[in-house]
Amino acid sequence: MDFRFDIIWDYGPLLLKGSLLTIGISILAILIGSILGLGVAIGKMSTKWYLNWPMNGYIHFFRGTPLYVQILIVHFGVVPLFMGQTNPIVAAVTALALNSAAYTAEIYRSGIQSIDKGQTEASYSLGMTHRQTMRFVILPQAIKRTIPAFGNEFIVLIKDSSLVALIAAPEIMYWSNAMRGQYIRVWEPYLAAAFIYLILTYSLNKLLSCIERKL
Amino acid sequence: MGKRMLTLLAVCLITVMAGCSSGSKETTYKIATDAAYAPMEYMDKDKITGFDVDFLEAVMKEAGLKYEIVNTGWDPMLTEVKSGETYAAGVSSISITDERKQSYDYSIPYFESTNMILVKEDSPIAGALDLKDKKVAVQLSTTADSLMAGIMGNDSPLLKRFDSNAIALLELDSGGVDAVVADIAIVREYMKNNPDKKFKGILDPEQFSAEYYGILFPKGSELKAKLDPAIKKVLENGTYTEVYKKWFGEEPNIDNVLNAK
Repeated sequence: MDFRFDIIWDYGPLLLKGSLLTIGISILAILIGSILGLGVAIGKMSTKWYLNWPMNGYIHFFRGTPLYVQILIVHFGVVPLFMGQTNPIVAAVTALALNSAAYTAEIYRSGIQSIDKGQTEASYSLGMTHRQTMRFVILPQAIKRTIPAFGNEFIVLIKDSSLVALIAAPEIMYWSNAMRGQYIRVWEPYLAAAFIYLILTYSLNKLLSCIERKL
Repeated sequence: MGKRMLTLLAVCLITVMAGCSSGSKETTYKIATDAAYAPMEYMDKDKITGFDVDFLEAVMKEAGLKYEIVNTGWDPMLTEVKSGETYAAGVSSISITDERKQSYDYSIPYFESTNMILVKEDSPIAGALDLKDKKVAVQLSTTADSLMAGIMGNDSPLLKRFDSNAIALLELDSGGVDAVVADIAIVREYMKNNPDKKFKGILDPEQFSAEYYGILFPKGSELKAKLDPAIKKVLENGTYTEVYKKWFGEEPNIDNVLNAK
């Protein structure tokens, strides 16, 4: 099999640029998604129907429909509404963050509910409010327990970000497709892309296990 | 927190239907393309290049209009051009078909193309009808796709539709299909890039009649009126022939393009 390293080399600088964008999009989406996810999780666990119904719906919608379609909806529907025109990078971050929030919400919930009820009761009896209990007692423990699950979610998100090539956000997959289009070849662009994603996810993994040990 | 989320969700759902916005009028026309179709339009590193790109440059120069070409990908191009808010036109080897004419306006034809069958050199296949009970790969939603669907049946399990011609061609190379049907320019470019692979291209003018590419506009586009005369001029004054020779190394048949309707 002939494998043309020279065309990967040619596209090297662009793949690097694409990687930076992938990293940027992923970090933003992870941050926003994690913050939104916490809100969604707390909303879903609320006893007030006007909080838990919509949050339940949110989770059902974003977990139950293809990310592919969500990206298109955000790109052509949501972003133009706020910005007056389409913007692939904003759409990419928004779609990935909204999608990720639905998954992280469930991770938060599993973490929070895994903490023994007795701790909440003990906090209340010490005169702490619900908010204080969450902030100082439950969440710190819950988050530590859920780090492996978050690791899973973040790795999936990095790889899912390849879908935004669909709306021509110039990340790794976009440049791979460009390479594919120019040379009408398949293996060089896709294996190069796979290799870069492997490096990215491996680094993230290392980072997370580092954080886990420190906590 | 919860209320804000609720609003956000509501906004998301409402805007699914909307997709509306107020586009501001610019003097620079934005033109969309799917630059993944060498040699017609493709990315050469970070530059959009190809026959269509050079042709468009000639036409816009002739019309005296400023423009910017953007690689949006195929589906976004269709959506963007249909709404016509951000993008005034699409140039991307778009065949003029009656189905598409229902939703879009087209320029006058500017390029003659046909589909070509690519098979292994020792294949007994000689024409399109021989493909009826063979396994065939095409790129999804191209004219090759609809032509082969016409011959093989739209739901034929033997007709394999791929996301790109590159993957369809790889499928042929790995023996998954007996033939690939694609635009002649693509098949020739592939054969040129892979001279050591034993493939041959087959033309079948009876089954695959000539088709013409046009520039895609939103319905009722004002740009169409400006570009049609410019396209005609470029075709007639020799500029087109120059661009054509640069990319394909042969003379175009201008009369066919000018007389096509």
